[in-house]
This record gives sequence, C-alpha cells and structure tokens, in this order.
Amino acid sequence: MIFRNFPMYCRKLIFSTFLLLTGLFCLMNAGYSQTAGSYLNYDELTKAVKALADSNKDFAKVESIGKTAGGREIWVLTLAKAGQVPVAERPALLIAANFEGDHLIGSSLSLEIARYLISGYATDEGIKASLDNHVFYIMPRLNPDGAENMFAAIKTGSKTNSTASDADNDGRLDEDGPDDLNKDGQITVMRVKDHNGLYRIDPDEPMLMKKADPAKGERGEYSIYPEGIDNDKDGFINEDPAGGTDINRNFMHAYPYFKENAGRYMVSEIETRSMIEWMLAHKNVAMVMTFGESDNLIVPPTSRGALSTDRPLDLVQFAQAAISEASRVGMVSEGGRGGRGRFNMGDFTRGMSAQPAADASGRSQRPAQTAATTINTSDLDYFTKASEKYKELTGIKTQPVLRNPEGAFFQYTYYQLGLPSFSTPGWGLVLPADTTRRGARGGAQRPGGTDTPAAAGGAFTMGGGGGGGRTMGGGGGQASAQAGGQQDAGSQTAGIDAAYYKYLTAAKINGFVKWQAVKHPEFGDVEVGGFTPTEISNPPAEKIAELGVSHAKFALYLSTLFAEIKVAETEVINEGGGLFRIKAEVSNEGYLPTALRQGVQARSVKPTMVQLEVKPEQIIGGNNKTNFFQALEGSGKRQKFEWLIKGKTGDQIDLKVVSQKGGTDLAKITLK
Amino acid sequence: MKTKRFLSVGLCLVIVMLAFQPINVIAQKYFSDPQFKVKLDFNRWHDVNELFADMARLEKAFPKFLKLASMGKSYEGRDLMVMTINNPETGPEMSKAAMYVDANIHGNEIQGGEVCLYTIWYLMENYGRIEEVTRLVNERVFYIVPCVNPDGRQWFMETDGGNARAGHLPVDDDNDGLIDEDGPDDMNGNGIIEQIRKYVPGQGNYRISATDKRVMEPVPFGEKGDYVLLGEEGIDNDGDGRVNEDDKGGYDPNRNWAVDWQPNYVQGGAMDFPFQLPEAKAENEFLMAHPNIAGVQAYHNSGGMILRGPGAEALGEYSGSDVRAYDEIGNNGQRILPFYKYMVIWSGLYTVHGGFIDWTNDGLGIMSFSNELWNSSQYFSSPDLLKEREDPNSPISGRKSSNFFDDKLEFGDEYVDWKPFDHPQYGKVEMGGEWKKFMGRVPPRFMNEELCHRNMAFSLYQADEMPKMEIGETNVKKIGDNVYRVWIDFTNKKVAPTITAKAATNNVVRPDLITFDGKQDIISASWISNKETFDYLNPITELIDQKQMKRLLIRNGHPGKSTRTLQYLVKGTGNITITYDSVKGGKVTKTISVN
Repeated sequence: MIFRNFPMYCRKLIFSTFLLLTGLFCLMNAGYSQTAGSYLNYDELTKAVKALADSNKDFAKVESIGKTAGGREIWVLTLAKAGQVPVAERPALLIAANFEGDHLIGSSLSLEIARYLISGYATDEGIKASLDNHVFYIMPRLNPDGAENMFAAIKTGSKTNSTASDADNDGRLDEDGPDDLNKDGQITVMRVKDHNGLYRIDPDEPMLMKKADPAKGERGEYSIYPEGIDNDKDGFINEDPAGGTDINRNFMHAYPYFKENAGRYMVSEIETRSMIEWMLAHKNVAMVMTFGESDNLIVPPTSRGALSTDRPLDLVQFAQAAISEASRVGMVSEGGRGGRGRFNMGDFTRGMSAQPAADASGRSQRPAQTAATTINTSDLDYFTKASEKYKELTGIKTQPVLRNPEGAFFQYTYYQLGLPSFSTPGWGLVLPADTTRRGARGGAQRPGGTDTPAAAGGAFTMGGGGGGGRTMGGGGGQASAQAGGQQDAGSQTAGIDAAYYKYLTAAKINGFVKWQAVKHPEFGDVEVGGFTPTEISNPPAEKIAELGVSHAKFALYLSTLFAEIKVAETEVINEGGGLFRIKAEVSNEGYLPTALRQGVQARSVKPTMVQLEVKPEQIIGGNNKTNFFQALEGSGKRQKFEWLIKGKTGDQIDLKVVSQKGGTDLAKITLK
Repeated sequence: MKTKRFLSVGLCLVIVMLAFQPINVIAQKYFSDPQFKVKLDFNRWHDVNELFADMARLEKAFPKFLKLASMGKSYEGRDLMVMTINNPETGPEMSKAAMYVDANIHGNEIQGGEVCLYTIWYLMENYGRIEEVTRLVNERVFYIVPCVNPDGRQWFMETDGGNARAGHLPVDDDNDGLIDEDGPDDMNGNGIIEQIRKYVPGQGNYRISATDKRVMEPVPFGEKGDYVLLGEEGIDNDGDGRVNEDDKGGYDPNRNWAVDWQPNYVQGGAMDFPFQLPEAKAENEFLMAHPNIAGVQAYHNSGGMILRGPGAEALGEYSGSDVRAYDEIGNNGQRILPFYKYMVIWSGLYTVHGGFIDWTNDGLGIMSFSNELWNSSQYFSSPDLLKEREDPNSPISGRKSSNFFDDKLEFGDEYVDWKPFDHPQYGKVEMGGEWKKFMGRVPPRFMNEELCHRNMAFSLYQADEMPKMEIGETNVKKIGDNVYRVWIDFTNKKVAPTITAKAATNNVVRPDLITFDGKQDIISASWISNKETFDYLNPITELIDQKQMKRLLIRNGHPGKSTRTLQYLVKGTGNITITYDSVKGGKVTKTISVN
C-alpha cells in the first residue's frame, strides 16, 4: 500500500495518521489497496485500479484503452455483475476524468465511485440493481502523462500531455519553460515594477492584483509575467514550455482551431483518438459524466441551453497575456515596405481578383447547415433535473476556477453522440458567510447555488460555433508585430481572485505564495507570488473521501435514469383462412427517452428497431417486417404496431425490440 | 600540296562520318519524334494493379529520379503508392519546394490516376530534351499519388461501378446492426446494374419516348403508359423486406479532413472524426512529414473546374494577398484548360466541410487546387456545335446529345439496351436502359490524352510558381568608425509567397529564418523602404524588433514577385554568411565581405 502526502499537508500529521488508520480499516474490509487521503501518481493509481479489479472479479475488470506517448496506460474499469444480458448490451454510464493534467481530484473521485459501488453491492439494493442490469465504465485518468507533472518536484499546473510542441512557432520545440525562481516547488507569477505596466495592487486585498482603470484616475504600476526566465532569449518568458496538447481541448465540438494547447488538429492525440475509438466501440454508453474544469451540474444550463461562463483567475490571465504575442513575432508589414510597388513583375497586381470565383455556377446552393451550439430545449429538463439532484447530494454551491469547454469531451458526447453528458469540477468553493452576498467574481460574484446563471448577455456562446466549431482565424489579416511589451488582457472574463483568496484563507489552505522579492536575470528586482497550481484546480486531499461518497451517490442516481425498452403487450387475433393479426405495444419504462432530441438531430443514436421474425412474404398488411422509431419518451410511453400475416396455428414468432441506449427485449408470440 | 591533300582527306572523312552517323540520331534531330523509353497507354482506364505496374516500370527506367514507395495501406490492405520525382544532383528533397499531386479520392473519379501517370511519364521522357521540363525537374520535387482510394478504384473497375465514390470502411447505412449486407446484384451477369421495367399494357406510368426508343419518359398527367419501373437490379439479400438498402460505402473520403470538419448531421459522409479513414490518416502523415510541399493538386471529376477553397462560406474569404496569388494561377489555368472555370468551392460548386484542400490550405499552409476533370461541353468543341446545341430540334440538343455522340463517336459502346429477363420476384421483366459506368464522368477514351496533358500542364505551371528564394545584390558601406551598413536583397520571383497569409495567421508553417553567421556585433536590423532613394530622401526603415538579431524570424514569409532589402548595421569587419531558410521557398546562402 502506498500512502502519498503533499508537503503542505505534512503538518497535519495527526490527521494523516487518522486517515492512514481509516485506510487500513478499508483495506481489511473490502480489499482496497488505497485510501482516499491523497492524490495518486501513475504507479499508485495503477495499483489502486488493479487492486480493485483483482479483488472483485465478480464485478470488476480493468483494461487499457490506449497507451500514451509517455508509455502510460489509460485504464478503464468495467463494473457490472455478469448476468443474462451480456454486459456490452446493457445501458452504461461512462465516468471519465483527469483530461486536464492538473485535475487530479477527478481521478480520485472516479476511484471513490468505483469503491462505493463495489463495496455496496452486498448491502445496497440500489447498487445491486444497477450492477445487475447496467454497466459503469470508469476511466479515472485520461491524461496520465500530464497528471504525472503534478507529482514532479516543481509544480507547473500544466494541463497538457507530453507531445512536444512549438507553441510560439519559432522552429524550436519546448525551448522556454518555467523556472522556479524562489525555490518553493511552485510555479506562480512574477510582478515587476513598470511605468508601462497595466496592473496595480488591489486596494481591497494587497495580495491580489487588479487592472488599473485610468477612468478612475488609476495608473498601472506593475507588469505581470509567469514565473521564469527567458531561456531562449527571445524576449518572452515561458512561451514554449514542455508538453503540448490539453486533452479536453482536442475533441471535435467547438474545437479551438490553431489555438495554443488545442493540438495540431482535432483528435491529433493518442489519448483523444483512443477515447473516441473506445466510444465508437461501446455504443451501449447511454450517459456520460466527466470530472473536469467545466461545469453543467453546479450551475445548470440556462433556459436557452447555454453553459455558465468561465471563471478564471486574473493573476493567471495577466501572466498569460504577457506572452500572448510570442507567436506573432516576426510579422513583416506587407511587402516589407521595400517591396511594395517597386519590384512588381508581370500582371501580379492586375485586378482579376476572384471575379471568376464569384461567378457562381448554376448549381443549387443549399442553405448552409450549422451544428448546434446550445443544448436542445427538448433536452434541457434532463440537465436541469440532474443538476438539482447533484446539488442536493453534494451540497456544492459555488463553482471553483472554470473555463469554457472548447473541444471538451463531454460537449462532444452530447452534441455529436447525443448522450446526456455532464461535467463537474467535483468540488466547490466554500465561502465565508459575508462574501456570499457580495459574490466572488472580481468582488461581485453571483450568489452561489440557486441562482439562474448568466442571462443572455453573459451567457457563454461558443465562438460562432459549429460542431467542428469555428473559432478559426477567419479572414486572416496580417497582425502587426508588437514584440515584447505587455499586452492588454482586454476582453477576457474578470477573474474570481478575491473570492478564491477568501476561500483559501477561510479554509486555512496553503494555496497562495505570498509575494517574495527575488533577483531576476532580465528584470532585476521582481516579486514572485500567487496561487499555487495544485490548489487552483484541486481541493485539499482530505476532502476526497466525503466528496467521493456524494459523487458516488450521484452516479448511482444517474444509473437509475436509463431508458428501458419493453414489449409491453401483445395480442394475436385469428382472422381465419390462415390470416392472423398481431398487435403489439412497445414501451419505455425508464426515465430518459430512448434518444435525446440531440441524438435524433445528430443521427447518432440509432432508432429503436422493432422486428417481427417472419419471412417478408408472410406479411400481408400493416407494419413492415422491420420498423424503426427515432425516440420514445420514458416513464411508460408506448408505441403501437400491427401486422396482418399468413401463418398457421401453433407457429412461434419472435418479436424483437432493440434500443441502442435502452436495452433489448424479446416477446414470443404463438399463433392460435 | 601535302597540306591540301591532307585537308581534303580530312574533309572526306567528315562527310563519311556524317553519312554513317546512326540513323536515329539524325532522325531525332531532323525528322521523327524520339522513341520513348517506356510506352504507356493513355486511351484506356487502368485498374489499381495496372497503375502500380506502370509506376514500377517508370521507376525502373528512370532510377536516378524516381522513387516508388507506399504511404500506407487502405482499409482493404492496398498500398497508397507515391512516386517521388527528385534530381538528387540538385539537392536533397527537403531543400526544394515540392508539388504534391493526388487523384481518385472518390473511387469512381478515375481519370486523375491517368493524369498522374502521364505526368511522371512526361517529365521523365522529356527531361534533357525540353529545356523547361529539365529546369522544372531540377528545381522542384514532385510527389505523385495516382490513387489515394485504391479500394474505391478497384471496386469501380471490377464491378458495375455503383457506390464506388467511398472507400470500403464498413458503414451500416440502414442502421439495422448489419453492415453492407444488401447491395445491388448483377443478376444477369453482364457487369452492369440496370434498370428494371415491366410491360403492363395501359396500366403503367412510363412510356417509350417517341423520339428515341432507348429513353423511358413519365407519361403526362391523366394518361396511361405501358410500363412501370421497378428500380435497380437487385434482390432483398438480407430478407428484411427491403431491396438494396445497405450497399458498400456510405461515406465521403473527402469530408474526413481536419479543417472545418463537421459531424455527419451537418456534413453527410464525414465519418465519426477527422482522419478516421486509414487512407486519410496515412496521407496526412505523409504531408506532415514533408513540410517542403508548397503546392497541392487533387484531381476529381467532373464538370470542368479549377477549384480552390474555402469549402464553406463561414470560413471567410482568404486575405487579399492569398487571393491575388490564387487568382493569377487560376486565371491562367482557364487559358491552359479550355471549358474549365476557376471557382471557389462553396460559391462555385457546393459547400464542403472537412474537405482535403481546406486542410492543406488552412491546416498545412499549402496553396491548393482541385481540378474537376472533364466537362461534357467538350463534346461541343466548336462555336458552331455550341450554338446548335441550343436548337431543340437538333440531334445534339439536351439529353439527345449523349446518345448522338455515343452512337457516332464511340459506336454505341457506352449504352446498354433493354433485354428480357426472368426475375425471381417480379417475373417477366426487361432490364437495361442504362449507361455503362464510364459514361459521363470521364471523357471518351480517345479524348483522354488531351485531358491528361492539359491538366498536367496546369499543375506544372503551379509547380513552377511555387516560392523560390534568391539572394540578390548586396552592398556594404562604411558609415562610421568600424561601423558598416550591409544591404542584402531577398527576392522571390514566383507568384506564391513563401508563407501564405493563412499559414501565418494559423501559425502552421515554421517562419522563414534569416541567419547571420559572422563575428560582428549587430547594432540593428531593418527593412528599408526604398534602396534607390535611400541616400537622398528621408531614410525611413522598419526596425526589426526581435531579441535575436542573428536569427531573425520572418513569420509571414516573403511575398510573391517581390524583392525586399534588409539592412544590418554592424560593428566589426570580416566575412558574414547570410542564409535565408524557408521551409517552402528553399534555402539560399551568400557570403559578404565586410571591410
């Protein structure tokens, strides 16, 4: 058994000892090899996953869906009790986590869910019913290479995998990463006195920085950079760190084309491709729950189907803005001035521009179709209900740091696979009473919990969208070179620094490095400080156990919602002369429809098939031999069928109903 | 005397030598064409193995220039063969801009394969004979891929040709859990999937056309015909009560690329994710491994078009500088290829999401065209015929023209007439009334060599206009104590820029690099506005604000048909070596002496 502690929690020695004992208790009880008291590196996670499977062969199986560039396996646990219906044909809930390398809490909660389900099989009726009839697929860590960075001596908070990249496109790979200037093992930010700076110390909380507002007579006094030096001497700091692609930016919905960390193209990564190929091979997955840095559970989608806005930290955004121009260095204004007009050759500039192209042929132009970018209003209720239950079970009210889900997995599974798909960070900010009124967003947070998020104005809309999304650089004008110099963080969403700082202080979490003077090789005197990477995206490890139980209960709740297709009723009428009339009613006994509206729209959920197993020529009238319907609402809604067939008394005829997400049923009909 | 005699003997010898010169040398010089080393046929359609065999013969005949390799395998395990044409004496592949030509991504759009084969053959047979061809082969690299969908091509060649557009990845078209289980069936074994008609006197809704007995036409409202049409030849293979509802294919290999990829419900045939198809994946891996590729041509058929992106309106028009370069090549293309129109895909043809040349243009920064080979207007290859076509009474007006040209030019080779057949389900019927698979999308065979040559000529023109950097004149002037001003002209005489505006915006091509190898300190580097007036007028320069003066990044590259002058102010003397290193525009170097 491995027990891992972070340095910052070492001081809680007594508490840790308590956890250790609890862990040993668990181990004896249910054959677990892990406790919930710490975050797990790859080897520890692997052991934990295998131990769960090995000691519970009745319910659990572990496999790998793919191997990363770093040689690590992406594990999937299959939890189901073998029975009459093969596992691959049962409706399944997929739980997947840790796409973003730094989001360790997701891994831990996924494992806790697995433990809860396995240990409760014998005693809990609900768990037994679910494992007997359904499947849980649990993938605790989609980005094991990225996650491993969180266990390195220096924490960078990188979300990406290890694919080498040329982030600033200067012909060199990974040549300028962060440097731990104050030797605290944390990569935070630097503030530097600068007359041209855009930022000043927040008068309300001197640990934080604000953008100066000249309209209020404020002046910028500081520039802010990521913690590091200019390793490649190009004028930028940390503009091309190790690693490449953020797995939750690499899927095909609202894909941020050509943006940093999004990968060279959609599904460019082994992790992404493995995941999609696995999804395509497991069409019985009927619902998806992910742990990640976007949310639709703590705050449900708006009545228009939009997700809540991102919740960044200003300090992080300001530092990122300092290097945003690194990938624009070297743009020469057209013709290099020297060339324009002077060395024209031939008829290069003669005005034949695009005229023939605009001369459209007679071919008909269909109106351009676009992919959906908001949740279909017919599906909205399912999301709202799930969110209500989530909040009830977990008690989480205030979202932590979040970002917009561009290229995120759970968006792909809803918009393109048509599955009910949820994402939660898995934890929330617990704010002292006085701040909940004032709110958290840049000192003006919405009251947490019950509010309706972001009315139309503030609602998140996806970059002009398309299933492929269209965040691409459109016309492609030539940006002018503005190397160096601090850029305006501009239109970005205001940060939640103030609320976040209060949360850390109130909970006594060591998640902020107080500003500390350091000598910098390029800037001279600087101060290093800010939020620590691990704590930005994860709660303290001692919260895992409690959060694990509540999320397991929520996962179990989700597994009770599946569509459930049945042949509810059959009737045979002998019309005489070898003719029989067969009537049948097919019902959906579950809560969810057999396909969400988006599943129908995207043509991704197969229509339910109703087939009468006779020879085609036996059918004289009524329905066809093979029939399909797109979707059937749940809670007992029915669909009627009627055939007039030739046959003889005593014939046995099968009536087969196959629903991709709602199981199968077979009725045996005897002609009489 | 002796000298004179000696001279006359010498003269005689010369005459004799001339007379006995091998006949073919004289013939080449004054009379017939040279013999070809490799004899190929361009007036018939090759199946996949024949294409590859011809490529192998060419490689064997021209081993110095040609290298035949496989980019990967198709779904059914066929090779995706690529021919590299490179003259190793003029530098390794990566040091020269490359033109990538592929064809046949849609399995039934076959003649691009022949154009590719012709291109390899023509370049090799004429190397050393035609000066411009020799220069092109020396200056450029060519990657020629005659068939990127060999499963589709082979299916098209071996069968009736139905559904050969896609490849052969299994797709469940009718969503019944069975895959490709009910396609058409060639019941009479003549290699063609025909129409079925049944004679039902006075009970039908079709009749035989009065003007041409081969044509079935629907009867006018209120009248009765003698025939009903019963769909295409086939049976209910899977016994589900439906006929031919799940054939092979069911997707589009040209919608599986990673720019503006859209899911199936927006873009039919897109598959589940970009590069899902083994063919597209292998091809992309080849393209990404060859950043020297600066031009792409992807041959399709038909319609007579020279297409460029964007494939969808929402992507937005290219920026002005890219459009100018495309227009110059496209407009000249219309002159090289009569009956072809230069058009933008979405506005001229139809909207395509996730198409190949959107990926190569936007995702890889390569100027890309796609020609739709063959326009049936080419039957009307004179102004008189074009005019006569408009007269409804003419035998070459409207649909009648197909039969007329087939009868008179190909002696009826492409048409299958109605013949009786005993159908297991429908009883006594007639099958026929169908064109063979080659009709419509490809030219009559005798016209194909012209198609091959003209399209090749366009692609060679595009290849010639790929960027090519040169270092022009240089100038060194002492302007202070141990301080020198160095001017260097960089020129790209070609139409295409070294980096397109789109590539620069998307940051998908490594920036051009200007490196300075010398022991001098660089005080400044700048682009100067006008060399000629610099010494007399206000010397405005565009200062290059980069930290590493000895390795300058030129992110948006060097425009087409232009010269830029770079000025260094340096401290110190000695030789400096300047290199302009462009991924797509080549690498050039010049040493300048400063003193």
